[in-house]
Amino acid sequence: MKQVLEGSQAVAEAVRLARVKVISAYPITPQTHIVEFLSDICATGRLKAKYIHVESEHSAMAALIGAAAAGVRTFTASSSQGLALMHELLHWTAGARLPVVMAEVNRALGAPWNVWTEQTDSLAQRDTGWIQLYCENSQEALDTTIQAFYLAELVNLPVMIVLDAFYLSHTYEPVDLPDQDQVDQFLPGFTPKFQMDTKNPCAFNQLSPPNVLMEMRYNMQLAMEHTIKNFPDMEDKFFEIFGRRYGAVEPVMCDDADIILVTSGTVTSTSRNIIQKLRDQGEKVGLLKIKMFRPFPVEEIRRILGRADKVAVVDRNFSFGASGIFAQEIRAAISGMPGCPAVFGYIAGLGGRDITFDTLQEIYRLTKKDEKPKLDSHWMELREVDYEIECC
Amino acid sequence: MNKNVSQTKFPVYIARSRQTTEVNKTGSWRVMCPEYEEKTSPCSAACPAGEDIALIQMFTTRGLFKKAWEKILMENPFPAVCGRVCYHPCETVCNRKQFDEPVAINSIERFLSDTADKNGYRPSFEKPETKKEKIAIIGAGPAGLSAAWFLSRMGYPCDIFEEKSEPGGILRWGIPPYRLPAGVLQGEIDLIAAAGAEIHCNRPVSALFLTDIKKKYNAVFMGCGHGQSESLNIEGENLAVDGLNFLSELRQGKTRRLHGRVVVLGGGNTAVDVARSVLRLGGTPLVIYRRRREDMPAFPQDVNMALEEGIELLELYGPAKIEKNNKDYLLTLQKMHVAGLEDGKRAAIEPDVGKTKKISAQMVVKAIGAGPAETWHKPPVAGKDILHLSNAILSFDNAGFPVIFGGDLASEIESVVHAVASGKHAAIALDILFNKGRNKITKKMEICSVGNGSSFSFETYLNRNHRPRRPEIVSYEQINTDYFSKAQRITVQRLPKEEAINSFAETALNIPENFAVQEAARCFNCGICTQCDNCFIFCPDVAVIHDKSKQGRHINYDYCKGCGLCVAECPRSAMTLKGEHQ
Repeated sequence: MKQVLEGSQAVAEAVRLARVKVISAYPITPQTHIVEFLSDICATGRLKAKYIHVESEHSAMAALIGAAAAGVRTFTASSSQGLALMHELLHWTAGARLPVVMAEVNRALGAPWNVWTEQTDSLAQRDTGWIQLYCENSQEALDTTIQAFYLAELVNLPVMIVLDAFYLSHTYEPVDLPDQDQVDQFLPGFTPKFQMDTKNPCAFNQLSPPNVLMEMRYNMQLAMEHTIKNFPDMEDKFFEIFGRRYGAVEPVMCDDADIILVTSGTVTSTSRNIIQKLRDQGEKVGLLKIKMFRPFPVEEIRRILGRADKVAVVDRNFSFGASGIFAQEIRAAISGMPGCPAVFGYIAGLGGRDITFDTLQEIYRLTKKDEKPKLDSHWMELREVDYEIECC
Repeated sequence: MNKNVSQTKFPVYIARSRQTTEVNKTGSWRVMCPEYEEKTSPCSAACPAGEDIALIQMFTTRGLFKKAWEKILMENPFPAVCGRVCYHPCETVCNRKQFDEPVAINSIERFLSDTADKNGYRPSFEKPETKKEKIAIIGAGPAGLSAAWFLSRMGYPCDIFEEKSEPGGILRWGIPPYRLPAGVLQGEIDLIAAAGAEIHCNRPVSALFLTDIKKKYNAVFMGCGHGQSESLNIEGENLAVDGLNFLSELRQGKTRRLHGRVVVLGGGNTAVDVARSVLRLGGTPLVIYRRRREDMPAFPQDVNMALEEGIELLELYGPAKIEKNNKDYLLTLQKMHVAGLEDGKRAAIEPDVGKTKKISAQMVVKAIGAGPAETWHKPPVAGKDILHLSNAILSFDNAGFPVIFGGDLASEIESVVHAVASGKHAAIALDILFNKGRNKITKKMEICSVGNGSSFSFETYLNRNHRPRRPEIVSYEQINTDYFSKAQRITVQRLPKEEAINSFAETALNIPENFAVQEAARCFNCGICTQCDNCFIFCPDVAVIHDKSKQGRHINYDYCKGCGLCVAECPRSAMTLKGEHQ
């Protein structure tokens, strides 16, 4: 049934439909609505779950590590500084192979204070062993949340569903809210592969010497690869019930494109329009949306981008001293391919600045103009700063 | 570690061990060692009767009112009396004072005694074997009755000789009913009598009695109190009514209605009681005290209540002369001024020469203090045959016959609870005397002192001096206040002023059960284990093991690393971290 839902609400409803048993979270803008909706859902009995109030994000994840180890479905949500505070435990969750699911609303990290969207917070956690799935709209956020539990429990890795602050978390859109029966069919009750059990006592994650640790780490990588391999199968099952699929990456008009725009998150929606407009003008342009960042679907990306001359990566994030993070990953993915396309990196929309139609049009123009990129990253629409007045 | 062979397609390789970690005896790392060690609460040590206040509050919080009441009775036969008239030195030192406000210990004592009365509780103490030694007690005041209570509970037959028609002493004749209703007092006297003592009223004794007594008794307790008012040494003193007589007649129902100004001379509890009684009889009391208000020996809360009732106080004036003036009296007052401090406490005063003032009154009452009525009531001052106990003096001057002076005759502070203490100390001292001999008294008593102070625990004495806890007094810094939240102290409801000053009905009203429980729950329970289980919850080595001992748990030192978390998380310092091998 279609309903007009806020992005945050879509996530919360998905958590309810997934019959999560333990939720533990600490509020932080712009993630707060998700946990507010969930605490309400729990308080009114729409979801029979234990909602644990904690004093920090670190504790929120610690509580879920305990709950997940006990063998129940768990959820939390965080953002920015909160996610950073969880960092240590993000490694632990993945290493302990606990299928925790988290909604992470992209927000710039301080200093200075800024509550608006930027991907640097989630991308800074890319090496923690979490699966990361970036969403474009509310429907995708809802569907991905349900899928996240499926994936997490399939390979025993935690999953982060990533949403742009405000553009997605606080925007109301029509969303098809599935029935509980449908979700139950896709996502039956959680049967943990291992769990704490007083009848069968054992210690988890005890001191593990070099002769075993490397194999455990390799097993995590195998799990990541298994995720990529099984993603289409999971989507088939999902499509059968719900009639929707997204793909780990989604190519739009890429088959004959000379230039392919690479995006993630909500800017993808704007880009869909701009490439249509450019196509109408006869430009051979395509769009590649990246939904799955970890594991990074290298094979698919190489297959799609390999045919183009140039790739323009829009990064709403930055790795200081290097370049946009998606651009880095794309460069690494396609390097060594015969006829490897040139990768143009663009930095846009940091700290919640709008990425408009004009921004994207300019990115296309700049990419088309030059044979090779002049810079690793081109910072879009930088304002003139009067150093005399504004700097110290 | 073994590979997880799961039923699903993807195998997960994690660190998992089924080997017990008990082989790691982490206790060998320990340099500090936690121990369960109960300590003394400041309130108990400050209570002259040594009541186990922290435990009483714990029982009250849990609704175990009879147990709490019996805990009081263990150390003090007068919970109903003390719950009303005690000046509660316990509250002054309450650690909670530094957090928000002290616990209303006195009000909880009142509640417990009221609850005992309402439900007709009888103490379930073991009946002792009757001893052969008999004790004579002179005076059925709080000291004598207390001595009888503690002696009876050890099986000593006691005879109390009371000169008045009814027992109670100052409690009956000196405290007006708006503070202590007669029925309340009688209830506790009945309880004491039920424990075995014989009370013989209308039996004044003379000095001669002391010589005859040896044939029938093995010791005598002197609890005659201060029966003789002190003299003003001024002209016309005989025109003033004696304060204690005034209160005594009031109790006997002999007092008539009063009108006009009644001057009350003095600043002690008797003066305040007289003034408040005068107000209730229709007179207009004026309390005249030669020092300042803060120097008044009356308990401050009683002074405050008197002032709240509208009683006037004239400070720094002393009486110089009383004259009869037709039907009235003319009082000449000498202005005083403060000239330094006496013992660093109350003001030293000197007359302002030439500065006098005259006032007239319908009646003058003097209440400036009292002393022993007879010279033989006075305890001997010095000598080798004297043993000074706290609040009591044991003398063998009478040809080796033990005479113990207690109550006001021997206490530094004249209060009910000190009288109770003197009776208890006398009883314990006599028991040691009869069983172990004179030389053992001081040493044996020390072991049952509360927090090494001047209060003694009868319970510890009965338990063969097995101290329930360390004498160390818990300080505020030793309380883990993270486990407590601020809460307002209860206010005892009182009769509205207009109603209170027109009758002798008790001014302080009953405390409802939920209020009392709430108030008791404010108690930090300093130094005692309330079985909160924080130690168990926080121990990272699972080294706190539940058992069936009185403590309910013990530490498994094979695994305790001595991290001290249990001690840090104990809210009330019922654990101590010591150096290993200490």
